Amino acid sequence: MTRFIIKRILSGIFTIWVTTVAVTLLIHLVPGDPVQIMFAQSQSTTPEQIEQIRSQLGLDRPIYEQYFMYMGRILQGDFGTTIRGNQPVLELLLVRLPNTLVLALSSLLITMVVGVTAGFFAAYKRGSWLDTTLMTSAIIGISIPSFWLGLMLMYVFSIRLGWLPVSGTDFKNLILPALTLGLANAAAVSRLTRSSMLDVLSQDYMRTARAKGLAETMVLSRHALRNGLINVVNMLGLQFTYMMGGAIVVENVFAWNGIGRLAIQSIFQRDYPTIQGFILIFATVVVVVSIVLDLLYAWIDPRITYS
Amino acid sequence: MTQQVSTVPNSSFVAAKARDFGRFLKRLIKSPSAKIGGGICLVLVVTAIFAPLIAPYDPIELGSGQALQPPNFKFWFGTDEFGRDLFSRIVYGSRLTLYIGLIAVGISMTVGVLVGLVAGYVGGWIETVLMRLVDVLFSFTETLIALAAVAVLGPSLTNAMIAVGISSIPFYARITYGAVLVEKNKEYFKAAEAVGAQHVRLLFRHILPNILSPIIVVATVGVSVAVLSASALSFLGLGAQPPSPEWGAMLAAGRDYFKRAPWITTFPGLAIAITVLGFNLLGDALREALDPQQRT
Repeated sequence: MTRFIIKRILSGIFTIWVTTVAVTLLIHLVPGDPVQIMFAQSQSTTPEQIEQIRSQLGLDRPIYEQYFMYMGRILQGDFGTTIRGNQPVLELLLVRLPNTLVLALSSLLITMVVGVTAGFFAAYKRGSWLDTTLMTSAIIGISIPSFWLGLMLMYVFSIRLGWLPVSGTDFKNLILPALTLGLANAAAVSRLTRSSMLDVLSQDYMRTARAKGLAETMVLSRHALRNGLINVVNMLGLQFTYMMGGAIVVENVFAWNGIGRLAIQSIFQRDYPTIQGFILIFATVVVVVSIVLDLLYAWIDPRITYS
Repeated sequence: MTQQVSTVPNSSFVAAKARDFGRFLKRLIKSPSAKIGGGICLVLVVTAIFAPLIAPYDPIELGSGQALQPPNFKFWFGTDEFGRDLFSRIVYGSRLTLYIGLIAVGISMTVGVLVGLVAGYVGGWIETVLMRLVDVLFSFTETLIALAAVAVLGPSLTNAMIAVGISSIPFYARITYGAVLVEKNKEYFKAAEAVGAQHVRLLFRHILPNILSPIIVVATVGVSVAVLSASALSFLGLGAQPPSPEWGAMLAAGRDYFKRAPWITTFPGLAIAITVLGFNLLGDALREALDPQQRT
């Protein structure tokens, strides 16, 4: 177990290190002069100012020097400033990060509740109309683009029925984005749960549990669900990663003030310091949360051994 | 006297392969998923090829009818804010969708399969470096990788296709790598290696044909993933730009008229969902037909 924890943390550190290298190289992969591109929209910028920015960003130095300069600044919490407005990038990202995390985690909850319930009943009633309906809904659900589902939910619940607001960042505003992201992923989880449950339901210990006279609800909750969920819980880290990725799109549908929305705005403005900061923060959050969820899984199910 | 040993498969082996393929086809044809999915994909391809014959109006020209007309007999899917026929735009959009799917999958499959083949075949430090990089890419979402690529290349449909292609490389690399490791331990491979077959021949003549099945399944579902990702990028304004009849871009343009003209967002969204459904069903059917034990 200790070996697994160390291995998992080391692989996380390696991932973040590769991200820092990629983020430093990102600006050099831009076709043309990145500083000229960043300031293409602003006509008042003089050549002297452009040279000053180039020097500020360290772009006039060798790449390895730029990397160490960037890392030195990052480790001191200095992610640079935005190209327009000169605001500190880290501050901007940290103000919005909780909104993205709230959205991703609420969606994860919806995904697990809806996906596991649907998958469980589909497996339990295998071959019935319920199974067919649920699994048909699942494959349709996987195929629906989240941004379109979001717009449709918005049309029904906000515009037609007027029950929920169109955009904003309080609890009532969270319902539609979280539903959009949660339902979009619940379809995949329901298919996974069904297949895992079918495997468990055909095991000998299920027959034994019934044969010794246990009530059906007990057989299902104690034996079937617990074992069937192992695979699903194992996928929590991956699901969280999907939620974070999906949040980038959904935030833009509902004008949810998270880091995904900021990232898209930055790409439009070619604001590379913010884009670099976003990628780094996003990767770090995904890696840290995935490690925590994996460790949680290892703790819940100690039978699992890791090589 | 030297004895020539052929590494070309003998006739009984070929016959067995042909029998397997026949069984696979039988299972595929019987599958309802394959019928529906294949039917949807066929309609998409036919629509894309014959778009000029099917579409009643020009997809780009302004003022085919009055602006924001709801669906009616003349304009089946209604018109947009510029009076363009939505049906014609969706018909022409199928070309872009197919194009995006094929290019993006082409990029990810070519690079991913090569990375997986080399890593699995060569082994050693090359394997470690390549697969660790694949693992790192796996840790992020496809969306993040695609966004980073668009941030570098700039927003456009071509760049969105490249970005989506890059973002799926890890999937193909991992599938190929796993399959190569399995094939390397099989007797036919060891025999070919023992008789001194060249590396290129071993890789492309022996391993690649034997690992094509899982790659084809991933590629089929990959088209649906590519269509979803590219339309998402266009929806965010980072892919196809107006007046392109790309479905994601059409959806984004329709947002401003959402209350007054919901059909502008409804039909392109339906078109994306049905296309993705088609490739997903076909992918499921292929997977089940190739490996019947996986069927649940």
